[in-house]
Amino acid sequence: MKQAKAILDQTTLNIDLRDLQIFALSFFLLLGLISQGFDFALNSQTILVAIVASVSTQYLADLFIKQKEMPELISRSALITGLGLCLLLRTNSWEIMAFAAVSAVLSKFLIKYRGKHLFNPANFGIISVLCLTDGAWVSPGQWGESFFLALLFISVGGLILTWLGRWETTAIFLLVYGLGIALRNQWLGFGPEIWWHEINSGSLLLFAFFMISDPRSIPDGKWGRIIWSSAIALLTLILKYQFFLATAPFFALFFLSLLTPIFDDFWQGKRFSWTWTTFQLGGNQNEASKA
Amino acid sequence: MKLAKHKFRVGAISLMIALFFNISPALAFCGFYVAQADGDLYNQASQVIMARDGDRTVLTMANDYQGEVENFALVVPVPVVLKEEQVQVQTPKIIKRIDNFSAPRLVEYFDDNPCRPQGPILHSLESTASQTEAGRAQSADSLGVTVEEEFDVGEYSIVILSAKESKGLETWLQQNNYNIPDGASDLLQPYIRQNLKFFVAKVNLEKYNPDKFTSLRPLQMAYESSRFILPIRLGTLNAQGNQDLLVYILSPKGQAEVTNYRTVKIPSDVQIPVYIKEEEKFPEFYQSMFEKSWEKNNGKTVFLEYAWDMSKCDPCSAQPLNSEELKNAGVFWDDNSVFITRLHVRYNHNLYPQDLRFQETPNREFFQGRYVIRHPYDGQANCPEAESYYERVRDRQEKNAKTLANLTGWKLSEIEEKIDFVETEGNASEVWWRQLFD
Repeated sequence: MKQAKAILDQTTLNIDLRDLQIFALSFFLLLGLISQGFDFALNSQTILVAIVASVSTQYLADLFIKQKEMPELISRSALITGLGLCLLLRTNSWEIMAFAAVSAVLSKFLIKYRGKHLFNPANFGIISVLCLTDGAWVSPGQWGESFFLALLFISVGGLILTWLGRWETTAIFLLVYGLGIALRNQWLGFGPEIWWHEINSGSLLLFAFFMISDPRSIPDGKWGRIIWSSAIALLTLILKYQFFLATAPFFALFFLSLLTPIFDDFWQGKRFSWTWTTFQLGGNQNEASKA
Repeated sequence: MKLAKHKFRVGAISLMIALFFNISPALAFCGFYVAQADGDLYNQASQVIMARDGDRTVLTMANDYQGEVENFALVVPVPVVLKEEQVQVQTPKIIKRIDNFSAPRLVEYFDDNPCRPQGPILHSLESTASQTEAGRAQSADSLGVTVEEEFDVGEYSIVILSAKESKGLETWLQQNNYNIPDGASDLLQPYIRQNLKFFVAKVNLEKYNPDKFTSLRPLQMAYESSRFILPIRLGTLNAQGNQDLLVYILSPKGQAEVTNYRTVKIPSDVQIPVYIKEEEKFPEFYQSMFEKSWEKNNGKTVFLEYAWDMSKCDPCSAQPLNSEELKNAGVFWDDNSVFITRLHVRYNHNLYPQDLRFQETPNREFFQGRYVIRHPYDGQANCPEAESYYERVRDRQEKNAKTLANLTGWKLSEIEEKIDFVETEGNASEVWWRQLFD
């Protein structure tokens, strides 16, 4: 029996959850590229620029701003940011993509409050090029409405979030957003098919599972996170239906991120760190709960 | 509802005629037609031009109304109350012009003599597609309905209504001799709750002179609103089956796209067999291809058929609109920088539960639906290079046949029967042992 346990310990595989996230995002990108509907202004050059710019900015910032002696050559977090930009941001210009990637990664180093960065990097990159340049846009309809995709995003995203122990932001966001749409539809007299059409949007699910769930920039306290993500959902609804803003979720997240320090003041919790999140495949449960 | 007979003028070579003739025997518009009394109504397809800059929109609506003019009536939800000076009639020519400019095209190349090596040259550019006749054809307090404005424009009498609740609006329309399809009030309610107004038009028979107009002219309206939508839901009410809608969006910025449905490019830049041109099968080809692409995307897709900058068009697929034509199309901004997007929607009640919501993007990438035929060299070619040339041509012909079958869903064997394959030495008819035993 003891022997068996020893063998099990030896075969335990350490997987960084960010690797899983990178794998999932790359898979979605590939899926988008293969399906013909995703051919709008996304080519291999833009993808390469986004990834190289994110990773190299991270390296240089680690070296010069953080003054690390031996920075990681390929930072996982920067890679996630680059992939996120490829999935959500559209532009015909590689310069704009590079600008988005550089500002996204730099925001982590420069815009901080009590040692914690304020914005989700990809979100900051998207908002900065939407506001400062005239050559970028977001295509909320690009993934269309597909049950298969929805299932994929939800299962992969949900799995990662469960392991991270940070699933409530996503769940609450979708709950409040879905409830808001249901109430609005009820009042307007729309049938359930419209609710389904609004929720079953690839872009929305991608945003919910892979952007607002970023454990490093969301509030630390559980109650803080719950109220914070409800507020994002409400603001998204207001921007979308009152101001007809197609980019509503991104702006909602951006504005609410500014308030994260206030949420952290009210509801204190343990700051998230990626170092606890090594998930042991075949081994014991997530170390995060013990840390 | 009875459908009127197909009264179709198959005039110029018209892609769209073919496109809509067989497929959509239904009523279509972004509003719906309601009849005064039980008239026969018919509407093939609608075309809409939206010129938009910032919050300002000029909307031009043309339709293919086929019934009696006295029965024509149209209800369109609009974001604001429109005054008389915000509405006018527009010449049907402008719709046809924009349609011609942006329609998918068949392009023809001729191979040169293989014995004089040179690349193929562009011989002629044929614009095959054009459009149907545009714009053809064609108190309340207790009910909570307010007549906000009432005026005549051209051959139309127009009222702008606001309503407090859908039953009241339905009753008002019925009392005023508009025969509304069943279930209208359910569809009207969301518009009322969103504070939209209703643009209701019918033909003013006193002003309508059938000798002067062969058809009802398009209606054009200008308004300011941050809503960038096209209401299509009402049009699904009395429709039987699918409806086609062509939306031309003119913007100083760039391409427009739909935000609540997927926008995809129609398959383009493909080589297809020569007989498609020679047997005048292009309209049929496009129709089948569109249908197949639409089905492949489960119908829940808006197709991009054309995207081009009209001011700096070099190369140009057709003569761009001049400033007078742009003005007619609703372009109100000064610098005449106009980017045109042509979107083709085939919708029905089930697949499109929501009205179309648009956004303009800074994407200035060009796109056109373009289909290429290449004629093999038909002169005498007796040089050694000729042999390999004809082999290449044969390969090409076989490949094109497969492409065509894939795009349209037509049977490969039927396509191959129609292709005039070039003779090559290694033809299937030439049996290998004949060379040995002869």
